[in-house]
Amino acid sequence: MDQYASVILAFPDGQDLSDVEYHRAARQHVQKIEKLVKDAADFGSQAAQLLEHIDPAVNSISYLAVLGGILQRERAPQTNITLLTSITRFLMTFDARQIRYAGTAFSNLLGFVGEGSLLPASVAVDLLATAILRIDPTGSMLTSHHLPLVRLALLTDSIEPALPVIEKDIVFFPGVRGSGDSRHLCDLQLSPSEYITPESGLTGKLKSSVVLQYDLLVAKCFIKRRAWQQAFDALERVISYPIKDQACSKIMTEAYNKWVLVGLLLNGKAPTLPTSVAASTRKAYSILGKPYTSIAEAFDLKTAEALKGEFESLGPQFWAEEGNLGLMNYVLAHYQRWMIVNLQKTYTKISLDHVRRLTQSAETGKELGTEAELLALLEDMTSGGMLNGRVEPAVGEKPAHLVFLAPAEELSEAGFATQMLQTAQRIKELGPIVKATNERLATTREYVRFLAREQKGGSKSIADFVGFDTQVEDEDLMTGIMTGH
Amino acid sequence: MADPLLAFFTLMDGQGGTVVKEAPKFDLDLYIQNYRGRTRFDRLFLVGRSSVPLCIDALKAAIAEAKRGRDPQRYREAVDCLRIAAPNEPEAQFDYAWLDGVEASNRNETHRLTAELKGYKNNLIKESVRMGNEDLGKHLESIGDLNGAAEAYSRMRPDVSTPKHIVDVGKHLVRVALQRREWSMVNAHLAKMGGIQGQDDEKVLQPYLAITQGIAYLGQEQYLEAASSFLAADSGIPSTTYNEIASANDVAVYGGLLALASMERKALQSSVLDNSTFRTLLELEPHIRRAVTQFVNGRYSACIATLEAHKADYMLDIYLQKHISAIYSKIRSKCIVQYLIPFSCVTLDTMNAAFGHPDQPTAIEDELVAMIRGGSLKARINTIDRLVTTVSADPRGSLQASALKTAQNYEKQAIDRLRRMGLAAADLELKGQKKTGQHALGAGNELMYDESILA
Repeated sequence: MDQYASVILAFPDGQDLSDVEYHRAARQHVQKIEKLVKDAADFGSQAAQLLEHIDPAVNSISYLAVLGGILQRERAPQTNITLLTSITRFLMTFDARQIRYAGTAFSNLLGFVGEGSLLPASVAVDLLATAILRIDPTGSMLTSHHLPLVRLALLTDSIEPALPVIEKDIVFFPGVRGSGDSRHLCDLQLSPSEYITPESGLTGKLKSSVVLQYDLLVAKCFIKRRAWQQAFDALERVISYPIKDQACSKIMTEAYNKWVLVGLLLNGKAPTLPTSVAASTRKAYSILGKPYTSIAEAFDLKTAEALKGEFESLGPQFWAEEGNLGLMNYVLAHYQRWMIVNLQKTYTKISLDHVRRLTQSAETGKELGTEAELLALLEDMTSGGMLNGRVEPAVGEKPAHLVFLAPAEELSEAGFATQMLQTAQRIKELGPIVKATNERLATTREYVRFLAREQKGGSKSIADFVGFDTQVEDEDLMTGIMTGH
Repeated sequence: MADPLLAFFTLMDGQGGTVVKEAPKFDLDLYIQNYRGRTRFDRLFLVGRSSVPLCIDALKAAIAEAKRGRDPQRYREAVDCLRIAAPNEPEAQFDYAWLDGVEASNRNETHRLTAELKGYKNNLIKESVRMGNEDLGKHLESIGDLNGAAEAYSRMRPDVSTPKHIVDVGKHLVRVALQRREWSMVNAHLAKMGGIQGQDDEKVLQPYLAITQGIAYLGQEQYLEAASSFLAADSGIPSTTYNEIASANDVAVYGGLLALASMERKALQSSVLDNSTFRTLLELEPHIRRAVTQFVNGRYSACIATLEAHKADYMLDIYLQKHISAIYSKIRSKCIVQYLIPFSCVTLDTMNAAFGHPDQPTAIEDELVAMIRGGSLKARINTIDRLVTTVSADPRGSLQASALKTAQNYEKQAIDRLRRMGLAAADLELKGQKKTGQHALGAGNELMYDESILA
């Protein structure tokens, strides 16, 4: 027991170490503790007791190693309450700096949790999300743990705890080669892309399909929560995914279908493809997404019958097989709401009877039967914030009518300035990311080769590398780089 | 008499033709005197098929016109119509002797001209080949073979040698294209005639070019361009230079109406009323001038009333007929928009008094709704208090909104680009697979995708 403790508590030793010293000490400690856990004969009997003596927040590497050892030996971990509590405690409090040196073991632990059988789903999701954000507080790096997290969240319908992770904008991806950085993993100034690497073990390597799936599942989560704008953004990330050689994935076409429907729900009209979508991809979408574009066209035509007809010509069976029946029903239900919202472009006040005659429900293809139904619908819309108006009851000669209120008063100069400042601030916050990206790209093999050729005086290479300086203003900066023109 | 007429117009209506019940203000004989060439029959026949009061007179005149020419097909069509509309008229019987004679002589003539042309070609005399083609074209045009005529005329082009020849070829082709309603072809032919040198010729030709150009634009519903073309026509040149296409009166009507439909008030004043070359033409049609003046002076309902009074005339015009309702509704919308400009709020009843029909009190409301939806009118309607409120521009608000939107877009784009750089740096772009290595989808679990690539 004591011989264990001497090793386990050896790091960190409480001294204030420089980065270089810390780096060396951590490396050594990891080797020692791994050897200890693997070779010690009576480890199994001692482990549980050991855990009680280690503070996961202080001796994180040791705690993790012991946990790993127990998990390997334990046959039925899900019944071992002490073990589960320890895992939970560890994931909530570990020292992120130390864990950079024990990436593989950490990833294994997250893998266990991510399977979903160990802990109740909502707890597992919460733990995963917390752990991911503890490792990378900016949340700007996609790791191999993101996909299990969002999959688990979606399957078990515990999306809420995953939100802090899936709401983050992701700009870094593992797998950049050639970044031969001399700085140490423990350097707290490092950008997440520099310590979360397959080499450090904190993430595995990713394939493009994983990135696509991640965003699609994120979108599904937001669809479940009816957060249309966020779902729309996530889907847009999938459909505008950079491609080479006219490729198009099934995930992208599926995302396109959902993107059309979510766009209808969000804006009440068919969305337009972002400019970054390649021509070949557009073509694939227009062919494979035909039923959905037809729906969007029918929606824009402003007749409920056309929309209903378009829906029924393929039948609920089709939409169910596509996995979009729920969304589709939502689109049908929302159609009349959008018609009513659009009425305010034409009217300031309008009688309820008039509204009833002017708008049709796409679910039945007819007008609403009674004024009471309409009233209920309007009530729902105003309380949901979709409609800015109120219903006036009938007085004297005037029939009951709907009053559209003026859109929100224009902002005061101060309010406007605050909003602008906030946006400017957010853009400024991108600075470190830009810096990190710049450094990352500057160390890629292609760029180094380019520089070398530049110095030799060769000028022909410029065409191979779309100049970062010359074409920064160009709208299609990225497509140029990606397709390598 | 009434019953066959009714049957005839029911038939015309069913075929998608326009039927005009009101009597037009012009006199048919005087009207048709303004034209020469094949357009005479076309116009008479159109009046015959569209105007109820003038039907029989016009059809009879059309038959007489057809018999003066050599086109048996036109004769048949006209007689067919008259036989339904007025079976008891003497002209309603086919003149078989005439028909057979004309057809036989047409055949001979075609044969003769083709043979002659072949001879010229063998002799390789350019001028004769050109004239041979011209003769053949004229002949084919007169017997109604417009396709053949167009071909023959375009065969003239390689053999032209003087500017006048180019003009001749162009005029022939334009005339045929107009008859065949091929508006874009008219433009193409006119473009080839445009760059001709020679001072006098050009002046004489100017109204012809302007008018045909205008008609071509009109046919393609480009009203503003059409109006500009008509307004540019030089009134100093006698109408005989272009009366195989349209009369001077027509030019005034086309130009005035289209300008009303497509131009702003200031432009109307400067390029219609103050336009000295066009004014002479405009004097031929005083009510068009009056309508334009009324519009410019803000008397919109009077303007609409003036135009409505002459609608029947325009409905019977060969080039205007298809567009007149669109033109009128444009003028009307413009009147309504102009009417509302000085007000922030107008009652629907006032609007109705100014523009509506007394028997349809709600018509104006529907019209306004259609205009607002179409985006031509910026206003909103209050159906409860019966008011029309114009939407005032809010430059400060819209500037604020657009500034915020730009800033947010910038942020979004910046992130998106960083993300794309990240993907590119990590070599994660989706790559097309050269081989058809499609893996099976994860069975049963819709969340389990594989890299199934749809190349």
